[in-house]
Amino acid sequence: MAIRINTVSFQSELYRSFTIPQPKPIRSPKFAMASTIGSSTAKVESTKKPFTPPKEVHQQVLHSMPPQKIEIFKSMEGWAEDNILVHLKPVEKCWQAQDFLPDPASDGFMEQVEELRARAKEIPDDYFVVLVGDMITEEALPTYQTMLNTLDGVRDETGASPTSWAIWTRAWTAEENRHGDLLHQYLYLSGRVDMRQIQKTIQYLIGSGMDPRTENSPYLGFIYTSFQERATFISHGNTARHAKEYGDLKLAQMCGIIAADEKRHETAYTKIVEKLFEIDPDGTVLAFADMMRKKISMPAHLMYDGRDDNLFDHFSAVAQRLGVYTAKDYADILEFLVGRWKVADLTGLSGEGRKAQDYVCGLAPRIRRLEERNSAKAKESVNVPFSWIFDRQVKL
Amino acid sequence: MATVPVTCVRLTTSMQMVGKTSSLKLVPMGRIKSGFPCLRTSRFQISCSAKPETVNKVCDIVKTQLALSSDTVVAPDSKFATLGADSLDTVEIVMTLEEEFGISVEEENSQNITTVQEAADLIEKLVEKKNATA
Repeated sequence: MAIRINTVSFQSELYRSFTIPQPKPIRSPKFAMASTIGSSTAKVESTKKPFTPPKEVHQQVLHSMPPQKIEIFKSMEGWAEDNILVHLKPVEKCWQAQDFLPDPASDGFMEQVEELRARAKEIPDDYFVVLVGDMITEEALPTYQTMLNTLDGVRDETGASPTSWAIWTRAWTAEENRHGDLLHQYLYLSGRVDMRQIQKTIQYLIGSGMDPRTENSPYLGFIYTSFQERATFISHGNTARHAKEYGDLKLAQMCGIIAADEKRHETAYTKIVEKLFEIDPDGTVLAFADMMRKKISMPAHLMYDGRDDNLFDHFSAVAQRLGVYTAKDYADILEFLVGRWKVADLTGLSGEGRKAQDYVCGLAPRIRRLEERNSAKAKESVNVPFSWIFDRQVKL
Repeated sequence: MATVPVTCVRLTTSMQMVGKTSSLKLVPMGRIKSGFPCLRTSRFQISCSAKPETVNKVCDIVKTQLALSSDTVVAPDSKFATLGADSLDTVEIVMTLEEEFGISVEEENSQNITTVQEAADLIEKLVEKKNATA
């Protein structure tokens, strides 16, 4: 799920990270730009073709990890088998979307659907906007499996590679796949949302992809995924809590079970990075600072529904207002990771490494301070239509 | 960009002189957003040129934010980015300027602040506006 932190102009680059970040009062013209990557001249907005989804605006960097470090990951395969694959759940023990939905094979199906719809009626539009955004993010799973397979040293070379890394990636993808399925089917049955617009948004998003700026480096890649898994854990946890408050315990269970998966995945990814800090503390702390400087961009930041050129900004503004995922969460995640990986205690670092260590350890308070200032500023309330809910309006 | 090592104080003195003779009235915001070539010499940047104290204060704030050594040159046309500021630094600089001068900077305006001079000019404009409505 993708949410961006909204913080003033800090966000203009964020963001791009859900982040991060980025939180900010909405405006992000860069996303609407139809600039072509790699071309020397950016297209002017007036010649923008209709229904043009946003594109990444940064220069895309490849293979920034020195090739000799690939060895590290080859040598970690045994360790990964014993320490990372254990965080996967055997399929026979896994929940399936059907466990949480009306049973089409039962006589009570229609009644169960009516009950689901009655509960959904009590839930406000702004919650649905956020739930839909989360669902769309989950449904863009092909992009995330792709992203994992861009990483040097750990990619699945054939699609059925027997390495521990490849086994992890495929099984992780298979687990995540259930999230989009569950939310999609729930939203379909609820009757509260425009499924066609949502499905269009998904098609655009998978077509757009995303560049998390991990530069084929598993250092950057696993730091990114650590951050993201925790972010999704937090936000699905929040949507679960809100659903409960609105009296829909079944929906709360759905969001909660997804959050539990994310937590398990977070444990796995943070363990990998912890091991990297052990093996190569300097390289890993530099990678951590690099990702934070670039800001953790949110997976769905290029989302587009054919109508709203600032769809992601609008969506994340609502998520921020509802407290589902906020700038404060971004800072909290960062602080959590700094603690989890004991970054402050690292020794024997190079000069650059120490600078990176200082940067990363000092960053969360800076973001918090920024966010406090930002939220203290009175903002005019803006209502914006979302095609996902038949152009009904929601406050940002 | 000028690489002549001039201290803040000296440059502002010469700017003051230019300010008196120039009658160019540039619209600060429009200048940056339009396609008009932005001549980065101090002459063309003057409309309501910022007072030296304002420019100095901005220089100090920038130096503190970026933890620059005292012998680092911060000139009015120094770009924050060149001095090593990332986007977070720039936002924090703007925040500190807001606190120091008791002003509020709109998001669109803050994105246009890339140099000490631009910051100082905007500050003066906002302070003037604040005093006018007080």
